[in-house]
Amino acid sequence: MDKQTPQGVKLGPKEKQKEIIISMFKKAIASEVIDTVLLPMKVPSGDSYAWILIKDKSFLDKAEPFAPIMPINAAHAIKRLTRKGKAQYKTAVLIRPCEIRATVELVKLNQVCLDDVLLMTYDCIGAVPMDDFIKNPEIKEKEFASFQASGEFNSACMKAVCGFCTDFNRTSSDIHLSLSDRGIFISSNSCKGDEFIKNSRLTPDEDLSDWTKKLEIIESVRETKRKQVFAQTAGETDGIVNFHKIFESCIGCHNCGSVCPICYCRQCFFNSSVNEQNSDLKIIRAEQKGALSFPNDKIMFHIGRLTHMSLSCVSCGLCSEACPVNIPVANVFSYVAAQTQTAFDYKAGKSTGDALPMRDYRSEELGELGELVKSVDKQEGLNA
Amino acid sequence: MHKAVINKDRDTAVREMASYLLDSGRIGGVFSLKKFKGSESVDYGLITDKGLLEYIHPFYPVMPQNAGQTLSKFTKMTKPVLAIIRPCEYRAFVETVKRAQGSPDNFITVTYTCGGVIPLADHAKGLKNDVLENYNKAVSEGKNPQNTRENCRRCENFYPENSDILVSVIGAKKDTAEIFINNDKTKGLLEGSGITITKGTFDKAGLKNIIEERATVKKEQFTSIDKIGKGLNGLVEIFGRCIGCRGCNSVCPICYCTQCDFSSSNFDYNRTIIEKELEQKGALRLPPDTVFFHIGRMSHMAFSCVGCGQCSDVCPAGIPVGTVFNKAGEAVAAEFDFVPGRNVEEKIPVMMYKEQEFPEMGE
Repeated sequence: MDKQTPQGVKLGPKEKQKEIIISMFKKAIASEVIDTVLLPMKVPSGDSYAWILIKDKSFLDKAEPFAPIMPINAAHAIKRLTRKGKAQYKTAVLIRPCEIRATVELVKLNQVCLDDVLLMTYDCIGAVPMDDFIKNPEIKEKEFASFQASGEFNSACMKAVCGFCTDFNRTSSDIHLSLSDRGIFISSNSCKGDEFIKNSRLTPDEDLSDWTKKLEIIESVRETKRKQVFAQTAGETDGIVNFHKIFESCIGCHNCGSVCPICYCRQCFFNSSVNEQNSDLKIIRAEQKGALSFPNDKIMFHIGRLTHMSLSCVSCGLCSEACPVNIPVANVFSYVAAQTQTAFDYKAGKSTGDALPMRDYRSEELGELGELVKSVDKQEGLNA
Repeated sequence: MHKAVINKDRDTAVREMASYLLDSGRIGGVFSLKKFKGSESVDYGLITDKGLLEYIHPFYPVMPQNAGQTLSKFTKMTKPVLAIIRPCEYRAFVETVKRAQGSPDNFITVTYTCGGVIPLADHAKGLKNDVLENYNKAVSEGKNPQNTRENCRRCENFYPENSDILVSVIGAKKDTAEIFINNDKTKGLLEGSGITITKGTFDKAGLKNIIEERATVKKEQFTSIDKIGKGLNGLVEIFGRCIGCRGCNSVCPICYCTQCDFSSSNFDYNRTIIEKELEQKGALRLPPDTVFFHIGRMSHMAFSCVGCGQCSDVCPAGIPVGTVFNKAGEAVAAEFDFVPGRNVEEKIPVMMYKEQEFPEMGE
């Protein structure tokens, strides 16, 4: 990720981050810089948050820009809003960096249209596991608020994936909000962002490199943690026997797939009728080994899902949160994703301009195959 | 009804019966909960090698999947499978058969008086030693185990009388297996097995305490749902924290659609529709239709809800889905004098037209 820090504008003191953000959006709506804002809001029962698209400014007072939990990856919400294309309203979304990255991937997968969407993000301290939050909403709310206020980026109270996330700050958004020690700064990462800042009558004039340096220190702590987690996961998943052990308690609910922002298929191949087979075959399969476990092909499902989405995995960790039997899905998927993405020199969510590796044909990647194709072509006279 | 008393513990008696049926070629396999050597997890297995029958644990108190759903996906088979499943799984299977999903001829169904199951999350965390002990103790004393699912603690349909074979578990002696055989066909299958079969009927007198206790628990639990709220506001209160993962739907044995309407393109709204709603309301939740999905699912399947509680167990947001659906389902089913899973011949109310149901319309 490009770490060059653009100039920022101070919006206000750090202590009042919520009020500052809300008033920024109120002004933006009033001056018609934007028409709607997507922000988290507490659900009526008070123990969770939901994504609310706000048009009427008065609803902004109920919004909570920095929600302690991430019940749904915002990319899902943006997909449902924009899958059918552009609209007349300009929408600003303030979402976590991993949600920005998932959104960027969905653009490449033709599920999201960003023509009228302004992506905004902030330095993210992580998210509280939903399970913990629902059990103790008030306590967790306070705890998170205090971490958010003090800028505690390495709290053990956050989700496991947040603990080793190194992409928690400036990412491929249009606008970045630096929640620095010196106050909240807004800066732009794109032409759309420049336009927003200009239309909001702000003039970026402050250098943020001191804060960037601080974030780099946090990043290095996370990097160390990441290496530890990956080393452990490597040991735990090495070979099909170990891989099977990790996933053997899978009940086949496919919650991991359905909460995954990248897994966008309405009809997953693994739930489709392709897998319905003559059941006498089940007996034949059982007889080969003496027994057949249910759900059938549970490892195949996870490997299949990995091949389908690991290149775009943004490590948001929702899969682990949604697993009813506590399989550390996100650790495994993040670990594999880091490798597959490195293999293609690709980084999920970095830019909408990067081509998806699987859709990008480079003849040099398939050297051996290229030779083979040439020789077959010759034999069949196709080149003649 | 026929009866057999075998002087062995239940697990052994069932394993030997299964082994005999496999050996004699009368069944193609045995479907049961299993725990293989070196494996931490308990899941369902289709066993064809009788040497592996020692690993089946038919009465283990966990439900990784509702087996009714699993069995409904079996297409017609040459030989039947001996399926040892819980009462609610059996009832779910019966409901799937009515929906032209399951093939009943595929299975010789064995169920038992069921004490309930331990929640999946608790089981996944690893059970402390005394959890299983306490469970087994309660079951053997004919009491309602306390560490089970909310649904199980109130379940009143735990002694099925329609499966091919019924094994007495609640209040049963440890070293004697009491087995009830419901039909002559199944009795015929066991001929030559050395099991002495006599006339006899299942007596539910021993279940009296548990039945009474569960009726009370049910009232309490159903009232507690009312306390959260009623009507649309109540539904918003209960389902407001739904994250839309549809886990409840995918594990539900009754929800059999390959492609749920709510996940289909029917629910992809044009931007103009979304913007119109925004103009009216000022704000809109995304993804939309959170409560609508649950009401929709409820109207599709609640009258066939067997109350297994799998939906609650997989809900990442801890919503008591199973209690809400069970309560609504029972209320609807009662209107039609219908009990889901009671009888395979009993038609699903919405698939059956009775002229007298709609007198106003008749006029």
